[in-house]
Amino acid sequence: MAGPGVEESAPSAVLACGEIRTCLLPTRQALDIRAAAQLLGLRADERVLLSERPNLYARSPDTLTGVDCPLPSANGARVRAVGTVAARAALTEGRVLQTSAYFRLPATGPDQRRPWGHYLVRPGVLEPFGKLPHEAVAQGVLDGGRPGDLDVGLIADGLLTRLLRHPLLDHCPPLRSRPTRLRWAALPAHPGDGPTLERFTLAEDELRTVRLRVPEGTDSAEIAGLCDDLALHDWLLTTVVRMLDGIALGSGAPPARTRPGAEDRPAVLTTLRPAVDHLLHLWMPRARVAAALAPLWEALEERPGFTRQWRTLVQRIRDQLALHAVPALYREVEPAP
Amino acid sequence: MLVFAASDKGGTGRSVTSANLAYQRALTGDHVAYVDFDFGSPTAAAVFDVPSAMRGAEERGLHSYLEGEIAEPVRIDVWRQTEHPLLRARPNQSGRLVLLPGDAGGGEFATGEEALERCIDLLLRLNGEFDLIVVDLSAGRSYAVDMVLAATAHPRMRNVPFRWLVFHRWTRQHVIAAAGLVHKAHGIIKGGVERGHDEDALRAAIRFVRAAVPDPESPVWAQGSPAQAAWMQACDETLRRLAAEQRIGDSVVLGIVPLEPILQWREQLITEEDVLSTQIANKETLEALEEIARRLTDDSYWGRP
Amino acid sequence: MTEAVFRETTAEPRTQSVPLSHLSLELGHLYMEDFEAGPRRLREHFAQVGPWVAAARAAAEARAGGRRPRISTCFLIDDYFTRFSSPAELVPLLLAEADRAGLEIDYLARESGCAVTGTVPVAQAVAARIVESPPPGSYGNRPPAAQTGWLANGERSPVARAPQAMKPAAAWQPPQETAARRHSVFLDVELWSEDADGRRTWSCPFLAAVWQLARLGLLRAEGEPLFTPDPHPGGDFPDDWDELPSLVRLNARADPFAAYRTCSVLPNRFLPVEHAVRVVLDQTEVDTAALRQIAERSAHEGVPVPDSVADRVSYVFYAGP
Repeated sequence: MAGPGVEESAPSAVLACGEIRTCLLPTRQALDIRAAAQLLGLRADERVLLSERPNLYARSPDTLTGVDCPLPSANGARVRAVGTVAARAALTEGRVLQTSAYFRLPATGPDQRRPWGHYLVRPGVLEPFGKLPHEAVAQGVLDGGRPGDLDVGLIADGLLTRLLRHPLLDHCPPLRSRPTRLRWAALPAHPGDGPTLERFTLAEDELRTVRLRVPEGTDSAEIAGLCDDLALHDWLLTTVVRMLDGIALGSGAPPARTRPGAEDRPAVLTTLRPAVDHLLHLWMPRARVAAALAPLWEALEERPGFTRQWRTLVQRIRDQLALHAVPALYREVEPAP
Repeated sequence: MLVFAASDKGGTGRSVTSANLAYQRALTGDHVAYVDFDFGSPTAAAVFDVPSAMRGAEERGLHSYLEGEIAEPVRIDVWRQTEHPLLRARPNQSGRLVLLPGDAGGGEFATGEEALERCIDLLLRLNGEFDLIVVDLSAGRSYAVDMVLAATAHPRMRNVPFRWLVFHRWTRQHVIAAAGLVHKAHGIIKGGVERGHDEDALRAAIRFVRAAVPDPESPVWAQGSPAQAAWMQACDETLRRLAAEQRIGDSVVLGIVPLEPILQWREQLITEEDVLSTQIANKETLEALEEIARRLTDDSYWGRP
Repeated sequence: MTEAVFRETTAEPRTQSVPLSHLSLELGHLYMEDFEAGPRRLREHFAQVGPWVAAARAAAEARAGGRRPRISTCFLIDDYFTRFSSPAELVPLLLAEADRAGLEIDYLARESGCAVTGTVPVAQAVAARIVESPPPGSYGNRPPAAQTGWLANGERSPVARAPQAMKPAAAWQPPQETAARRHSVFLDVELWSEDADGRRTWSCPFLAAVWQLARLGLLRAEGEPLFTPDPHPGGDFPDDWDELPSLVRLNARADPFAAYRTCSVLPNRFLPVEHAVRVVLDQTEVDTAALRQIAERSAHEGVPVPDSVADRVSYVFYAGP
């Protein structure tokens, strides 16, 4: 994991937050590792991290965005903060693109803005004016702020927009899919406790929120890494669930109207084939999560059971495709009602 | 696929008809986005009956997005946010239907290089999410028409298929105006070629929709005198000849929408309920809309005439 | 991941450190027209510089707390904006005039090296590291400076844009310096210009900012130090500027080129340029690992550096042409 900057001179953080955008890379074919490095080379002088075990993964250097604005808060307190938000992009198996913006906040800060150079040597740190009401701000970040409040999602989205303008992309995605947003906030754990995942919420259609508690001194880049991993796997589940949701299986009652031009090919095959080609091999929870934070996955495996659901979906897709490999004559024999 | 809805004049029912096409495609299971680029008169929210979803979205629509004031334009999930009681019950197996409205109170504005880049960003993102993207454009030779012509000629959009629907009423003036918008100086084809489009390919991607056409065969007019019927036939014939001369004849017509009070006056989506239960809409109108919606992606209706 | 058995070198960042002096003292930063003006201009320059150099050394000694500070001197020649004469002709003249004033030039640098060193596009890399200082109200939606080629120390006047139809045009507003004390000293720095073919020419202040980062030991390319000195092989200097390394060590016994702090002795016509340099340095995010290495070593030596990179830079401006 990329180490943070001059951590020593910054007071320890009482809150770390971030937002992740996850989407299918809009290209016909997955990018190979060299093309991935080209896409994510945001800086001429800093290398893209490339990794081939346990899966192909590329991650850009961090970029910073300066902010000076009120923090969102659940109790209406308008605490101003100044500093930089770090953002980076990652590409998994050349297929799923994520941009992740994050920052951390110390418990207190000075009452006025300091010279910008002060903030620049503390990448990814925002300093509050006065005392930080960290519980209220954590909730405010997860709920989304009012207009003019810090919007870390915009920074993740800005990086995504920049990457999607890259000439390497042909904008011929093999399947239609929706990007997801995952917002997270990490509060301090009670002294002596380990990290815990307090809540994982599926909010609106595309929004997920994660509330964590972590021991003091946990690197915010590592928390962001955990949340990137959660966002990736949640996106996979969401995307495959929607794929299966949208198609009529079997030969029962047809939908209200038939889809135009679909009569000649079995819809099941055209819809599910891209899942096999592009998505099913991507499931690999905890592949790059820091050892101290990896146990947090267990809560999700217990309930609702991310991997359990994924296995069921994969099995369903394989069964459908196997069924369609059988000659139509036998396939269409369905139990009479 | 992108479908651009254009018209030379107002009053063609372009917005309401293209919204109905979007609705029909969503019913068949497609995921559909409806993008309101009618900058001078952003009224799509009324067509989809989502007025309260627009509250608080005054400064978060497509005007603000293209001018760079906001990073993401607001999206309205029509099935969930409409106040139209029939639409709220989303039919089984239907696709998403999402409206991207303009700013309430937004006006025409000059689009620059930055707005063009943002327009491309938006259309490409929608292309990754939706099967069909219907873009309603301001009437006439507008900034909106200009911007999407430039966007679709841009290298970043080289692989995104697009088609144009040009709406016009079935009158002498409208036929001439629609032909002018497409074929004459500073029209869609010449303007498109200037921005880098291939002339033949662009021409092959343009079709016309005749709107508010009175059908002489319809029972509505059956009560009229024989003289009236004969006069209507003659007028219809004259208009057909004019349309053919103007290169917008039958071979490039994707469909004909009958004269329909509910489209003219209510300006809303026509549902099966309107035809079957309340019978305020004509069956022919609904069938025409279904047919045009189907032909949008039927390649046999497109290409060189 | 710290005790991992399996490692991938491409998956781990690493940054090399550089040797460091206490002070990098710049004896001049001259353009071709200065050389064109003949040896007299150089002689006057070094005569003016001499006393200030002594003062800068004394200040460094005081800061070092009684120990002998490591101080290296350097001189920058512009070969980027105009080309004049040759190293073979100019460098001996320069060294002779410095020597006459009792000054020794340890390191000689070419300004082109601040644009491209070897194959590394240094200026472009530094430009990609600019993080604009956010004016109050920036909540994450400001476009980066890299889009425009200009960098300001505050908020510009809003651009007069054609308003939407039937909406009023916005009234003019003054620009504002973000760190203003009541009143603004607003500065907008042109970082580069481009010709019709898109070829980019870096501006003098921007290259001067890169030069400061080089002297502060903060330039890296993929973790490797940039702007490391090549020894002078002895004998004559080459006939072509391109054959001279970007940075040459003229004095074999010199202290390291890079330093915790820098001081430049310049004629006061450089004042606006160096103001612009400060605006750039104040908004450039340097390699975090390099920053940390220097912070740790300077603290260990008992001469901690200021946090802010721009505050490690100092100047003496003398009255002169």
